[in-house]
Amino acid sequence: MFTKFEHFAATSLMGNPTEAPPRKDGHLHFDRDWEKMAFGVAIALSKQGYYEWEDFRQTLMATIKEWETTHDLNDPNWDYYQCWLTALETLLIKSGVIAAGELETQLAQLLHCKSSEL
Amino acid sequence: MPSNYPGFKYEANREAVSAAKVKALESLLIEKGIITSNTVDNILGYFETEMGPFNGAKLVARAWVDPDFKARLLADCNAACEELDFPQGMSGAEGEHMRIVENTPEVHNIIVCTLCSCYPWPTLGLPPYWFKDPTFRARVVREPRKVLSEFGVEIDDSVEVRVWDSSAQIRWWVLPMRPEGTDGMGEAELAALLTPEAMMGVATVKV
Repeated sequence: MFTKFEHFAATSLMGNPTEAPPRKDGHLHFDRDWEKMAFGVAIALSKQGYYEWEDFRQTLMATIKEWETTHDLNDPNWDYYQCWLTALETLLIKSGVIAAGELETQLAQLLHCKSSEL
Repeated sequence: MPSNYPGFKYEANREAVSAAKVKALESLLIEKGIITSNTVDNILGYFETEMGPFNGAKLVARAWVDPDFKARLLADCNAACEELDFPQGMSGAEGEHMRIVENTPEVHNIIVCTLCSCYPWPTLGLPPYWFKDPTFRARVVREPRKVLSEFGVEIDDSVEVRVWDSSAQIRWWVLPMRPEGTDGMGEAELAALLTPEAMMGVATVKV
């Protein structure tokens, strides 16, 4: 039994090697800063009740399965957190947290701002 | 707006796209009032400062320099945890009782969970992949010396190997032997030598 949501969420992913986040020496291992943000947002929003953690887990597993069926198993482009991010986007739209296309609009604005600053 | 934004070819710029997309997502969620700029830091902080092998390392280092503490740690791990300044919930508030077993020149201990993957996460953090591997779980009970040798730990025939099977009630972990040549070291320096593997019994502590 877990009293900490964070712990419950992380350990629920330890079931099989493909679904578990990269770890090193007992710690979560992030290669890039955006991975931390994607990881934290997924847990935070479930903790706040926007979706069930199990729904995130299932979406992540489905995303990974889709990658595996469309790519070679040794494809060097395999990237755990790319799948994580795809799953997060899918679920945020499905659960109505963001509307379809909303993220792209935000992204375009962000990039537009940046390019106009140059 | 589709993702064929000028200048982006998905595969080639995947890194840049992902980084930008996560940034966009963050700002969108902040605008909607769903998260604040601290939300993610708080989540990550839990993993970075509350739950990790640094807790186990501190306990072992203290036990190495303080024989009385060591005796208390061996007698009642959860109570000893309370003596150190650990966050709430570390010492078995979740109904998980931890027990530590001491490696000596005569006995080498190794932990496993043959039923599932019970793990002393408050002291060792998140388990490595292989801990849940059915082959590891079966073999470590049947041929622990061989498994240890594959981990690079050669155990002399004169040393007894004990395998501790964790359950939901008791989660075992290992107090490794303090290595030679560490006489002058303080607790922090000693703690830095410890790895989760050493506290699982599948590695020795190296200086």
